[in-house]
Amino acid sequence: MANFILRKAEPKDVSDILRLIKELAKYEEMEDQVILTEKELLEDGFGEHPFYHCVVAEVPKEQQSSEGHTVVGFAMYYFTYDPWIGKLLYLEDFYVMKEYRGYGMGSEILKKLSHTAVKTRCSSMHFIVAEWNKPSIEFYKRRGASDLSSEEGWRLFKIDKQYLVKMSSEE
Amino acid sequence: MNYTVRDSTPGDCKDIMRLIVDLAEYEKMPNEVKLSHKELEADGFSSNPFFKCLVAEVPEEFKSKEGHTIVGYGFYFFTYCTWKGRVVYLEDLYVMPEFRGKGIGKALMSRIAQIGRAQGCVRMQFTVLDWNKPSLDFYSSQGAVNLTATEGWQLLRFEGEALEKLAQNAN
Repeated sequence: MANFILRKAEPKDVSDILRLIKELAKYEEMEDQVILTEKELLEDGFGEHPFYHCVVAEVPKEQQSSEGHTVVGFAMYYFTYDPWIGKLLYLEDFYVMKEYRGYGMGSEILKKLSHTAVKTRCSSMHFIVAEWNKPSIEFYKRRGASDLSSEEGWRLFKIDKQYLVKMSSEE
Repeated sequence: MNYTVRDSTPGDCKDIMRLIVDLAEYEKMPNEVKLSHKELEADGFSSNPFFKCLVAEVPEEFKSKEGHTIVGYGFYFFTYCTWKGRVVYLEDLYVMPEFRGKGIGKALMSRIAQIGRAQGCVRMQFTVLDWNKPSLDFYSSQGAVNLTATEGWQLLRFEGEALEKLAQNAN
């Protein structure tokens, strides 16, 4: 079983995309953190100013999953900017359902994205990986990725809504 | 001392570039800056901007030793979190040493937080070098959480040859 196509996501895919987002979050042991809704995904990805782009992997009906799904993998990305080198492609989420792994889908998705990056004149593709996620880290390193947290000491930070509100009102 | 925080204009790109190089020097990586102010202008001020930038400006009578009135900047863009939605990403935040201690950094950051909230962003995200204690302390005081430390996220990238290699044979 190796039949699959990669295509740009369409508005009708948002329910599948959310399903896969939740599966990936479950794998990352943070399933209860997903509060995004299909409505927001639709508005944010397919409105006038998309906040993200998405590629999905689809299998023919005869190869649908045990629960009847044909969209079995996805990658979500957007463009960011490095003031030192210019445009970057940022890979936000990248996931293939367990029963469809080992057929080269992940590799094909990554190739497609890197092709997009090169085509749009991005200097680099960036993404984050949890340090305990050895299979993924190995997958990326085998393909030439460098770990900037180890090599250069970059640490990822966040400031949540309540502090943003506080900061906005203190100005 | 008086200062204003405002949206940058194409005419500010030379100053922004100057400050980008200053910040890169502080981060001990000045040779990594390959971008020109012309590219910055094209990428930030077209109909599809890849970033936004605020600048902090002082009146003529308070200009820097070298005669500059643009003394700080906050460089940001919008990204996406598949769990929660829209995010404002703070790419660069910098104030010239002689203008520090006057609340300019905080003012730049607060305005970006405000803009983020107005766009429906649920959080602000950014990276900091692990040795940069003054910045780590500043961000901590504003409510920032180190996700690399608390959740183990590592920042990775594919660039140059590795990116090209990955892109070959894409379907």
